[in-house]
Amino acid sequence: MSTVTLDGTSTRAAERTPRRTARFGAGRIASHAVMAVMAVYFLLPFWWLLVAATKNNDGLFGSQPLWFGGDFSLFDNLSRLFTQDDGVYLKWLRNSALYSVVSGFGATAVAALAGYAFAKLRFPGRNALFAALLGLIMVPMTALVLPTYLLMSEIGLTDSVWAVILPSLLNPFGVYLLRVYAHDSVPDEMLEAARIDGAGEFRVFLSVALPAMRPALVTVLLFTMVATWNNFFLPLVMLSDDDLFPLTVGLRTWYQSATIGSGGGQALFNVIVAGSLVAIIPLIIAFLLLQRYWRGGLTIGAVK
Amino acid sequence: MRIRKGPGRHAAAGWLFVTPFTVLLVAFLLLPMAYAAKLSLYRSTLVQGEVFAWLDNYRQALGDPEFRRGVVRVIVFGVVQTPVMIALALVFALLIDEATSRLSRFFRLAAFVPYAVPVVIGTLMWGFLYSPRTGLFSSAGGLDPLSGDTVLVSLGNVVTWQWAGYNMIVLYAALQGLPREVYESARIDGAGPVQIALRIKTPMISAAIVLVTIFTIIGTLQFFTEPLILQPLNPGAITNSYTPNMYAYHQAFSYQQYNYSAAISFLLGAVVFIGSYIFLFVTRRRSALR
Amino acid sequence: MSVRHSSLKRGRRRPVRAMVAVVAAAALTAAGCGGSGDAGGKPDGPVKIKVWAWYPSFKPVVDHFNKTHTDVQIEWTNAGTGQDQYTKLQTALKAGKGAPDVVMIEFQEIPTFQLTKHLVDMGEYGANAAKGNYVDWAWKQVSAGDKVYAIPVDAGPMAMLYRKDIFDKYKLTVPKTWAEFKEQAQKLKKASPSSFMTDFGANDGGFMTGLLWQAGARPFDYTSAKAPNIGLSLNGPQAKQTMSYWEDMVGTGLADTTAFATTDFYTGLTTGKYATYLAAGWGPGYLASVAKKTSGKWRAAPLPQWTDGANAQGDWGGSAFAVTDQSEHPKEATKVAMEIFGVDKEAWRIGIDQAFLFPTTTPILEWDYFRGKEYEFFGGQKVNEVFVPAYNGVGEFRWSPFNSYYFSQLTTALNQAIEKKTSWPAALDTVQQNLTKYASQQGFKVAP
Repeated sequence: MSTVTLDGTSTRAAERTPRRTARFGAGRIASHAVMAVMAVYFLLPFWWLLVAATKNNDGLFGSQPLWFGGDFSLFDNLSRLFTQDDGVYLKWLRNSALYSVVSGFGATAVAALAGYAFAKLRFPGRNALFAALLGLIMVPMTALVLPTYLLMSEIGLTDSVWAVILPSLLNPFGVYLLRVYAHDSVPDEMLEAARIDGAGEFRVFLSVALPAMRPALVTVLLFTMVATWNNFFLPLVMLSDDDLFPLTVGLRTWYQSATIGSGGGQALFNVIVAGSLVAIIPLIIAFLLLQRYWRGGLTIGAVK
Repeated sequence: MRIRKGPGRHAAAGWLFVTPFTVLLVAFLLLPMAYAAKLSLYRSTLVQGEVFAWLDNYRQALGDPEFRRGVVRVIVFGVVQTPVMIALALVFALLIDEATSRLSRFFRLAAFVPYAVPVVIGTLMWGFLYSPRTGLFSSAGGLDPLSGDTVLVSLGNVVTWQWAGYNMIVLYAALQGLPREVYESARIDGAGPVQIALRIKTPMISAAIVLVTIFTIIGTLQFFTEPLILQPLNPGAITNSYTPNMYAYHQAFSYQQYNYSAAISFLLGAVVFIGSYIFLFVTRRRSALR
Repeated sequence: MSVRHSSLKRGRRRPVRAMVAVVAAAALTAAGCGGSGDAGGKPDGPVKIKVWAWYPSFKPVVDHFNKTHTDVQIEWTNAGTGQDQYTKLQTALKAGKGAPDVVMIEFQEIPTFQLTKHLVDMGEYGANAAKGNYVDWAWKQVSAGDKVYAIPVDAGPMAMLYRKDIFDKYKLTVPKTWAEFKEQAQKLKKASPSSFMTDFGANDGGFMTGLLWQAGARPFDYTSAKAPNIGLSLNGPQAKQTMSYWEDMVGTGLADTTAFATTDFYTGLTTGKYATYLAAGWGPGYLASVAKKTSGKWRAAPLPQWTDGANAQGDWGGSAFAVTDQSEHPKEATKVAMEIFGVDKEAWRIGIDQAFLFPTTTPILEWDYFRGKEYEFFGGQKVNEVFVPAYNGVGEFRWSPFNSYYFSQLTTALNQAIEKKTSWPAALDTVQQNLTKYASQQGFKVAP
């Protein structure tokens, strides 16, 4: 952590520093060639997806993967996507958004409270609890999904939105990050001053600590939201009602049904492709719009 | 609130603030762990039901060739794929740190975007592209990315595609946090960009490198979603015991061996936990986790 | 409707009275369980029955049921296809809550769920009344004596779908036996080296078991009454003969081994790479939906026989509705299981035209709408004239109570034999060994 700064502004300041790259002409060309080739590699599947979304099953199975072919069926695919199984896809889209927004804000709030308390408040058991937290960061969460399922079924919480949201609220790493950040960036004098003014601890937290922790909060929020949006194993195990599925589990269900062949299977490949395209568009737009936050915030992610 | 001096002066507030987190920690980490531990000590058979069996499940797991093959597979995968991906991420990070052009900014974004794609969708896309007859390699005479010999490499490619850019950005952020003066002076002493990158920049961000490596290792040992999604394309190569996590999943959900599954999960969790701690310990001077 | 509404409202305001009503309802249901009264369980309007199923186009079927029934209403959930749903069902059954009243289960999985005693004996609720609507083998898939564990819905009798244009082009004749099938395959290979006679999808346990079934192999000697005794014979002579045949077909390049239901497989069907598709009763509609471009070029013919002139048939796929032990209304649940499709022509119209289901009840099979239906995709052929006799010719067959494990072992062993080019019959020996070991571990007494 010592070499990592959390400060978004230093990033931007550093970019303004003039560089003398022009001196190394050959190296510059070589490095740009590498970047160009690798950019093609990273974008290739997206290009395929865009092309494939315009094809019907015949086109998918019978034409070049990287170029348009067959009938242009993009709109047909989209209309099937939104009408398949009574428009369940829209529900999945809404569920994914709900889970990631609620989990994102919830986990960030929980982590902010705890991180701040670990950094700035003294209470008995603090060190022991924090040591436990450090150890638990390393516990592989997927190994716990099954026992969590069995436990939650005891209290009848499986197959509900809570079965997905509640476990996602636990983010030991977020607590750790916010503790480090609060430790460095929330000035003790300001806390004391607020207390002397008669503010209660919660007020001090809201009015002094939270604003100072903002950049780190944004980062934790973004990461939790993306992690929940992309989560697959937890909802796969927890949910049986397809009205509650997030996109990832829903699309897998269609894929499963497309590749099962036997009775009840449906070759939904074109629908799945269109669904994949629609599913990643919001994320990519969010990415482009929030670019600044990612870059600023990712310095903190240097330890994630 | 009254202001008191002394170690417990925020006791009430402190506890109150960590309560939500502690409750979650107990409910979704400690209790499930304890429950898995308890389950793993019982044995249930389809015919007789559940009986206490001490460490029988662990003994069975350690002697189970399918489980062992899965463990070896993810270790091989981790040993090969992790360094390759981290090395790529490091090279990319050093490149975009050095070059400030429109292309490098574009590349930075292009490499990072796969991270925004859910693993399920990323793997589905590559699954189509791997298809021997309609995919990318259909013209590359006889190369089948999904055959038993190549599918592990193909899976490695999916993981690399998805995460290299993310790790690149993390390392890049660490590079951006370095004080510029250090290598400006080296530059004046006549060091070229390659030397600066390897001798100065890389050692200075070793903390970040250690961390991304740890998290990658934790991720690969839990390998699950990618092979599960590719499985229908070649179930002969990707079996139900392909990775320990898939094995645990199928033991529980396909074969109803919840106890055996819990033992595998617990064993896997222990291996990952101990493994990451050893790695952290060995590299502790460089590590950033305090 | 309005009566139900007001009683609900009253109930909410006066919890005590609602309690009384619930107790009364429970008592009435319990009386119903005894098999005496049939007026049970409806002081508070219709009984809600939760159903899990993954049939395509199932929503209109449910709507139709709810429209035509006033005492029982279905709440339907699609909880995943195949293994996904079984996974959820197993965990819910184990957890003791969360399972539906009625659940769709494929034939081969019924013993698995029956073994853990989570399936209600529907015979106690009058399910045996439906017995006469089913041919013997189909009814035996879901029952043991008077005990009925599920009501059959659809099946998958096997037949051969072939490309008439390709057969005409290369002057192939429609094979009556597997030996002729191979001859025609060789003829095709000679004329068009890049073509295959068919595709052998070794990823599909149901497909392979269907072929074994036709060949007369009976891998499992098991009924719920016999547990914990089970007979295992995965590597019997008929099974080995079948696998040797296909090993030879694949080894000589006459049959392809692309996994079924993958994009590559569909490509093969659309591009004419495969001259035949060994399919099941649900195959024609399914094929029509994935290979639209080839419409009119396909025909159906009976599955080739091992012995000339014989009538041995196999089944690949098929499902039924079972009632779980978590249902509080087993009587109504049984009614739902029997009547969702049952012999209801409106429901079956949807099942046949939109979901490509192959019915199991004789009245529907004999119904001209189904049997006489002309399929444009098959050049106007009445393909069910091929499939219905195939269905009637299927022999009795038993499944094991650990079918997921069996399918997984079968597909793994055969795929590895294909990959490593080792002997296929030997792969069956491996399956036999692994299953024997597994069954003993699980506490079964295994007999060969």
